[in-house]
Amino acid sequence: MDEKDERKRITFSLVDAARLGYDNVKRRFNRASLNLMAIALGIAFFSSLYLMDAFLGAYTQVGGEVRVEGYQYGLMIVSLVVCAVSITNSILITVYERYKEIGTMKCLGALDQHVLKLFLVESFILAILGGSLGFFMGLIAATLFCAITMGFGHLSMLPLSVPLLLFGKSILISVTLSTIATIYPAYKAAKLDPVEALRYEV
Amino acid sequence: MKSDIIIETVDLARYYELGGEIIKALDGVNLKVRRGEYLSIVGPSGAGKTTLFNLIGGLDRPTRGRVIIDEVDISQLDAYELAWLRCRKIGYIFQTFNLIPTLTALENVALPTIFAGVPRDEGKRKAEMILRSVGLGDRLNHKSSELSAGQQQRVAIARAMVNDPAIILADEPTGNLDFQTGKEIINILRELNKKRGVTVIAATHDLKMIGVSDRVVYMRDGRIERIEGRGRLFES
Repeated sequence: MDEKDERKRITFSLVDAARLGYDNVKRRFNRASLNLMAIALGIAFFSSLYLMDAFLGAYTQVGGEVRVEGYQYGLMIVSLVVCAVSITNSILITVYERYKEIGTMKCLGALDQHVLKLFLVESFILAILGGSLGFFMGLIAATLFCAITMGFGHLSMLPLSVPLLLFGKSILISVTLSTIATIYPAYKAAKLDPVEALRYEV
Repeated sequence: MKSDIIIETVDLARYYELGGEIIKALDGVNLKVRRGEYLSIVGPSGAGKTTLFNLIGGLDRPTRGRVIIDEVDISQLDAYELAWLRCRKIGYIFQTFNLIPTLTALENVALPTIFAGVPRDEGKRKAEMILRSVGLGDRLNHKSSELSAGQQQRVAIARAMVNDPAIILADEPTGNLDFQTGKEIINILRELNKKRGVTVIAATHDLKMIGVSDRVVYMRDGRIERIEGRGRLFES
């Protein structure tokens, strides 16, 4: 049976998914920028708080007496959860907007797992962009705060490794958060019945 | 040697439950489609044309009966094999075109070649060639919003053809087009059918679009009412 022989030739490589996902992010930028801001703001809050703590820690060592309070870390966690929920919400809307498109792709030979892959890759791209943007927003905010409260001189007390490590952490958190937030909507999109999707009028 | 019959449906039925009531969208359809023929399916909306297409394309599972494509009962296929069927063997054309709005004409047409595992450059080249053959050589990088309805449908035809399918399923391909544009689309389909030997099954409720058919199947209430051959068609 030639069907059996050709089985392996239904494909959708990570490179294809990345290319299509990148196009989607670029060409639906209005929708994507909402997600981007949700991630960026969450990460900005995280990184600014973390940096301020580091600055203040360095300041304390030379006699200062301010620290970031524990409850502020609690707030940060809440803000990251809010950020994840808003990403889920936003991607769910995207799924509805793209109902027909997903149905069409399935008609053209896409498997469930291909749709899942596409959504996860798009979310990964947004997480990298949003995480970077958020880190720099946080960096600027924390630097300004410390420069104003402690003077520019104290900024140099912080070793360069601190913000570098923080950048890595920011990206890690934003990718994790974004992936978790995308799983449910992406799964919903992947499981979409093409018959229903094609009947659907937006 | 392949059989003359490319698609056969045996007592095919699909029932839906809607608000506690059973809707018989398709109720015992026996149909044999010959390889390389142009078959029109005519009937009012609700006659079961789309349901029949969904079952033939493996998008939906029948309540009863079988669909046999190239001597394979497609209910025996797994998700992977069904996707292969939709990707390589069957080309879909819809009433509403269903182009991906963010992609250009060329990218839309090349999309099925990605799933088919065709190398990217080759897929693009093939897509371009087919787009040129349907007269859209100067519209390759336009998005669907920049194309007229007739042009969009031609892109959709090119997309359906790009993986060299044996069968084209066209569900009301002229339903959203004016008469003249509709005629052009039908003529393109007929030409592909003659030149490439692809089997075309086109659903329509517009009797003006069936003149090109080898046979016409009249459907009503989920059943085949009658089938007319080419001779009969031109007598009337």
